[in-house]
Amino acid sequence: MSDNTKVQETEKHQVNFAFREKLNSIAEGFRHNYCYQCGACVADCPAAYYSESFNPRLILLKAILGFEDELVRPDSEIWDCTNCYTCSERCPQDVRPVDVIIALKNLCVKEGKAPPLVRTISDTVLDSGITTKVTSLTERRRQELGLPPVKSYPVEDLKTMLEGD
Amino acid sequence: MMDVGRHPRIELMTFSEVESVTGYVGNFQVTVRKKARYVDASECTACAECSKVCPVAVPDEYQQGFSSRKAIYLPFPQAVPSAYILNMENCLGNNPIACGKCAEVCEKKCINYDDQDELVKIEVGVIITATGMQVYDPTEYDEYGYTRYENVITSMEFERLICAGGPTEGHFIRPSDRRAPQTIGFIQCVGSRSRDGRGNPYCSNICCMNTVKDTLLLCDHYPGIEAKVFYMDIRAFGKGFEDLYMRSKEEGVRYIRGIPGEVIENPDTRNLTLTVENTTTGRLEKHELEMIVLSQGVIPRQDGDSIRKLLTLSTTSDGFIMESHPKLKPVDAPTRGIYLAGCVESPKDVKDSVTQASAAAARASILLNAGKTKVEAITSQIDTDKCNYCGICAKVCPYNAILAPDRKAEKAPIIIQAACAGCGACAAECPQDAITMRHFTDEQMMAQIEAILEVEPHKHLLTFACNWCSYAGGDDAGTARLQYPTTCRLIRTMCSGRVDEKFVWHAFRLGAPIVLVSGCHFSDCHYISAVRWTQKRMDRMWNKLDKLGIRPERLRLEWISAAEGQKFAKVMREIEDAVKAVTTEEIEFTMKVLAEEEAKNKAKKEKRKAKAAAEVTA
Repeated sequence: MSDNTKVQETEKHQVNFAFREKLNSIAEGFRHNYCYQCGACVADCPAAYYSESFNPRLILLKAILGFEDELVRPDSEIWDCTNCYTCSERCPQDVRPVDVIIALKNLCVKEGKAPPLVRTISDTVLDSGITTKVTSLTERRRQELGLPPVKSYPVEDLKTMLEGD
Repeated sequence: MMDVGRHPRIELMTFSEVESVTGYVGNFQVTVRKKARYVDASECTACAECSKVCPVAVPDEYQQGFSSRKAIYLPFPQAVPSAYILNMENCLGNNPIACGKCAEVCEKKCINYDDQDELVKIEVGVIITATGMQVYDPTEYDEYGYTRYENVITSMEFERLICAGGPTEGHFIRPSDRRAPQTIGFIQCVGSRSRDGRGNPYCSNICCMNTVKDTLLLCDHYPGIEAKVFYMDIRAFGKGFEDLYMRSKEEGVRYIRGIPGEVIENPDTRNLTLTVENTTTGRLEKHELEMIVLSQGVIPRQDGDSIRKLLTLSTTSDGFIMESHPKLKPVDAPTRGIYLAGCVESPKDVKDSVTQASAAAARASILLNAGKTKVEAITSQIDTDKCNYCGICAKVCPYNAILAPDRKAEKAPIIIQAACAGCGACAAECPQDAITMRHFTDEQMMAQIEAILEVEPHKHLLTFACNWCSYAGGDDAGTARLQYPTTCRLIRTMCSGRVDEKFVWHAFRLGAPIVLVSGCHFSDCHYISAVRWTQKRMDRMWNKLDKLGIRPERLRLEWISAAEGQKFAKVMREIEDAVKAVTTEEIEFTMKVLAEEEAKNKAKKEKRKAKAAAEVTA
């Protein structure tokens, strides 16, 4: 490794205070900075159970150190979180890892760094009020099962509500 | 305890409760309720015949419920006095049809079913509070299954199981099948260092080393046993502690950094499985264990409130009793003549408890040997002629140093000089101005205010600073060479609770642009709770300012501690701008309004006086 790349490496892993501040302002203040890395959030995490790369403790560590590049990107591990809130229940320091992850997800979307699938789902919600598109196949199967057709939701109201934010 | 019980000059009162404490340093009158034990302790030889015939069996509290005891029993083998005790709640009673067996077999005839509680009055010079602590109940931590699985026990229960005097005579077995476990896990910090509403935010101090000791005991008794400790930090900070920790590691105990999740029991083997992230490797691990010990934290005594009220002590936010000063007076209570020892003050181990108890005994003997105590010449004094028996002074005194007056008997309040600490809250609150604070008299304070505002009052910031915190904070700013405006003029009071309303009004009448009252933070008031009266008085004054049409922002309140020189300088800089912003018209208006107000009050007083005089002549 040349000296040049070494310097770049250290720069990359320097604490990014600006990003920390930014995250503090959206993730309910300073609370997550109390994390003492005990790992209570990982033990019962269903996502961590199935995915080796997902680790709420490490996400918190990166958030505290302000590693923006690793967190705010389409292929970031934060998208594996299922929002089940088990970590928030276990955390002894009241850090609420889910809230931090949701804040990071929102940040990704705002900066256009969310995975394309997220955009698709949110567009579907805006169009129809539900997360999955109703196709002709769905309608046919429902008819076969004797179910009424999927009712339409007041999408305009939903849009008005979302615009308020 | 045996030595204490035998000592000719120590009277040990067990199974007793303090009912009331009155008086003050050197002259405490304590009423103690000696509870009925239904067995004459001086006659009983602890022959155990009574216990053998007793038909009642209840869980033994001392053995953590692992074994049973009778209704008449010896609380624990080393109990002092070594005499049996009869628990009337468990006893069937002395009705011969019902029972009465123990009285029949007692050769000494020392069982008396009609025993009564006895109230004993004693006079003491000083009091040492050493009421101890309790352990945390881990039921809240539902994921560990303490209430569901027999093989999940607490460290207190572990202690009984491994103790030679315990229910298993020291054979360590697991409760479900009475078999010695081969694998055992310890979960640390159960109920400690937790801010999420379960448990307590503080570190319980003793659990880390207790677990290290437990693992060493196990390795010693059962070589080859596999012990694992799940922790977030091992705090081995005391003398020889790190050595012990290293020895435990050398014995093969595995220390895994990570707090486990849910514990699941295999219903067939009754073994327990837990998942944990080993945070040093970042991997999820599963551990099958035959037994789990929850290293529970310690909490203040839940019945400690009565003692706290009796002795007018205060607690810190964690519920332990607050000492007079965390560094300089760690064994003194704020109330004079009362000392603290052991876990009543904070969680601590045996060594620290012994250290603190020795210190408390030494501190107490200073007072007892001298036979008298020095009081600073700043105590309060009451002019009984002016007093109208309202009793506010007795209410505000944080030390209970003022005996309440009796209006009907026209008995004025009495200030106990030995108990008075000189905060001045009583003098500030007295509506009749009947109380004088020595060396901080109204005249002295008024003279200082007048001197400060004599020349160019609009340019000066009048500040009342308490002796212990804010005045020292100013010193701190000075010694640290911090820059702050020169306009501020400090008036020292012992406590911000001394700042009388009339001082503030006088300052505004003389043209002060801004008045600042500063004192200790709420939690470190040097006069227990006198600072609370400052806050109440300030609220009252802000209301009044608002009503008179004066900006309430001109009366400022700041809490500055002795170490906050930075804050002191910052506040002074901030207020300097505020002082400049106050216009001459505003000051003139204030002076006019307050002068009118004073004249009105004076007229009212005169009228009342004339009326009273007329009544007397009539």
